[in-house]
Amino acid sequence: MADIGTVKLAVPGSVRRGSVARVRALVIHPQERVERQGGRSVDRNYRFVNRIVVTYLGREIALIEPSTAVSENPTFTIPFRATETGLLKVTFVDSHGVKFEGAAEVKVT
Amino acid sequence: MLGAMTSTLTRRAWLGLAAIGAAVAAWRPRPARAQGYLANLAPEEPIADTLKRLFGSRPIKDGASLITIGMPLIAEDGAAVPIAVEVKSPMTPENHVKAIYILAEKNPRPLNVKITLTPAAGQAYVATNLRLADTGPVRVVAETGDGSLWIASRDVRVTVAGCAA
Repeated sequence: MADIGTVKLAVPGSVRRGSVARVRALVIHPQERVERQGGRSVDRNYRFVNRIVVTYLGREIALIEPSTAVSENPTFTIPFRATETGLLKVTFVDSHGVKFEGAAEVKVT
Repeated sequence: MLGAMTSTLTRRAWLGLAAIGAAVAAWRPRPARAQGYLANLAPEEPIADTLKRLFGSRPIKDGASLITIGMPLIAEDGAAVPIAVEVKSPMTPENHVKAIYILAEKNPRPLNVKITLTPAAGQAYVATNLRLADTGPVRVVAETGDGSLWIASRDVRVTVAGCAA
């Protein structure tokens, strides 16, 4: 899985000032699930995305804390109020402390 | 003499067995305490315990009219079940939805995800894909800025389990 960590962001081509738009963010990640043996969870350092920070114009919009019960290749759609043309950033952090970042330019008209 | 010794040994053995039995009985019903890496995950527990752990004894009101949960009635693959949650809110600094919790009642660890929002989101909305272990209700709790809690739920039939854990 050489693609682990690829971040894809989808934002509308242009947004009217003051309206609410949505960003869809995706990271290629196995999001390991907890294994069981004889009904008991196996104690292992599972690798899953457990923290996602969404910022727009440097301000935090949302903080997402997923568990292992979020599907493989976690994807989230989050709204934001478009005020100015600028950068929307999404940072994914997994339980092994690895960061994956993506950014998209939001054009406000 | 021999008879007395046998009886003593038997009694001792019996007491030993009883002690082991008592130890096992005392240890078994306790929920498996998470150690090592598992301690970083939420504990395996029924959803009522998760709600108590997250919100204590704070009242949770029925939010069926506020919270819209968009989910398929039948999920063919429990490994990826789409969900879209929208909570009616003006999203102003004075009155906004602070957090959305998505919990699957039949998952061993019921809390799927917690989303913390700021008024800059403009809308209380989130969409993602969940892993569902079995057919059962998915519950959504919305926490508003003033600390009040609202709950809504939606039944989903899962054809192939997502082995959520």
